[in-house]
Amino acid sequence: MTARRTEIVYRICWTIALLLLAVPFIFPFLWMISGGFKSTTEIFGAPTLIPRVWRFENFVEVFTYQPFARQYFNSLYIAATVTVLTLFIASLAGYALARIRFAGAGLLMLFLVMALMVPEEVTIIPNFFLIRAMGLIDTHWPLILLPVFGPQGVVATFLMRQFFLALPKELEDAGKMDGLSRFGVWLKIALPMSRPALAAVAIITFLHSWNLFLEPLIFLSSLEKFTLPLALSNFNDSYGLPLWNLQLAATSLAVVPILIIYLIAQRQIIESFALSGVKG
Amino acid sequence: MTKVLLKGIRKKFGAVEIIRGVDLDIEDGEFVVFVGPSGCGKSTLLRLISGLEHISGGELHIGGQLVNEVPASRRGVAMVFQSYALYPHLTVRDNMGFGLKVRKVPASERARRVSEAAATLKLEPLLDRFPRQLSGGQRQRVAIGRAIVGNPDVFLFDEPLSNLDAELRVHMRSEIAALHQRLSTTMIYVTHDQIEAMTLADKIVVLRDGRVEQVGTPRDLYDSPRTIFVAQFIGSPKMNILPLADGGPIAPGASVPATAISVGIRPEHLSLGKSSNSTLRGKVRLAEYTGAVTLLHVELDGGQTCLVIQNQGPAPETGAEVSLQADPGRLHFFDREGQAV
Repeated sequence: MTARRTEIVYRICWTIALLLLAVPFIFPFLWMISGGFKSTTEIFGAPTLIPRVWRFENFVEVFTYQPFARQYFNSLYIAATVTVLTLFIASLAGYALARIRFAGAGLLMLFLVMALMVPEEVTIIPNFFLIRAMGLIDTHWPLILLPVFGPQGVVATFLMRQFFLALPKELEDAGKMDGLSRFGVWLKIALPMSRPALAAVAIITFLHSWNLFLEPLIFLSSLEKFTLPLALSNFNDSYGLPLWNLQLAATSLAVVPILIIYLIAQRQIIESFALSGVKG
Repeated sequence: MTKVLLKGIRKKFGAVEIIRGVDLDIEDGEFVVFVGPSGCGKSTLLRLISGLEHISGGELHIGGQLVNEVPASRRGVAMVFQSYALYPHLTVRDNMGFGLKVRKVPASERARRVSEAAATLKLEPLLDRFPRQLSGGQRQRVAIGRAIVGNPDVFLFDEPLSNLDAELRVHMRSEIAALHQRLSTTMIYVTHDQIEAMTLADKIVVLRDGRVEQVGTPRDLYDSPRTIFVAQFIGSPKMNILPLADGGPIAPGASVPATAISVGIRPEHLSLGKSSNSTLRGKVRLAEYTGAVTLLHVELDGGQTCLVIQNQGPAPETGAEVSLQADPGRLHFFDREGQAV
């Protein structure tokens, strides 16, 4: 009984400590949602977490101010496309680098990893010229092609390679004995077994694409082609000053898919960051 | 008829030659065991037969056909791996039927063959479980079942029992022996455990440094080893090899070949004797009591250590002076090259 009581006390203490620690993270989030329901005057008035007057019309105005639904859809489909393409290419390339013996495989991997060391800001101008030469300015193609084949794609390939390296080779031998081709081994054995790595890559890639700001800013000019991060910075009045209530309402809507992903795949997200050494 | 014929088989990894010309004739329905120390190439040889590794030189015939360039899945062989290699994302049923599915065997035929194999191996209650829900022995049985469903001409086993505990290993060993009796299919089995080799094999192939050292029945290898290596590798505890100068007097009256320089005596063929019958004396350094017998480590006067199995009477104390003698008919003589004479 005493041991049980100690455990309960211990648990309560931990829960309180964790709740206190969570405050700095949760409070801005709640403030954002609350701000989305306030008027601009109330936002800059005496601070309250619960709005004195609930302005639900902010959320309607978000959609009338600019083509927000279209922009939301743009972000969703671009992030989904980038994720699917990255998963396909990174898992194939990662498998090849991990399992196929060919001259220069190590050198190729080194070359790819070296490319990660070049900051994106350095490559954005050459990329702009490249995309312009291809006639793809003000289209969504650069937002798909650059992440898939750029540093984010390399990170994904590297993660997949590391995972495939750890898969037991005997399973692949068994697949070969069962009559699978190399592609078959990848599809039927390696891929189903690498679900944790695929989930990790999917989450990282989706989040990266969802949050992309610099590329849309440079490559897009039409409002209806904007993605969410760009659209969020566009809720300004005629003087160019931010419409805080609309921005906060729109941001609250923009985090919904991310929240859903986090809720569904909490464990994978933690694993993914552990796997990649990337901070959230 | 599925004979397996190896003619001058070689395997190189880069500049390193692992298999250096192996000739072997495996009869239909034979149970052949490859044994040898780590790194001798026994698993590589098995992988060459399976088709998982490409043969660098020589010819491999299975069922009378040259199969050097035939892919693994078309050689009519099935392999049981050391780690079982069960697909973790598939149930036992799907694991067993996977190969048939890849070969586009109709679903009804697939189900029939899986249930037949499951009945043979008593796997029916486990068919809908995942490999992670099975014990080591059950996993091993599933791995064997997966091999059986394909009706292969040749079974290949790569140290299939080495991940099991001692008790289960004995049990699975007898199951594999029973399976061989029931199926009468050619089986090639790799192990480093010589008890497995001795108990299962019709024929043992002792490999050393990528070459065949000796081929024969377990009794042949035990009673008539052709080299010191085989003599010491087969049998546990291993055979004592003594320089003839030290070991000669152990059995007065034995006829010693002229070229012999060393004599081999198995520990079970040595006994403690009266000093008048033997000039081989030593001190007991260690007495290991195992229940049925006592294994004595006797340090001879010449400095050599000799193992003796004593199965009758009380064992001498550590430090006791003893005399050893052996049956002259049980001695093995070896020449300068380590060949039996």
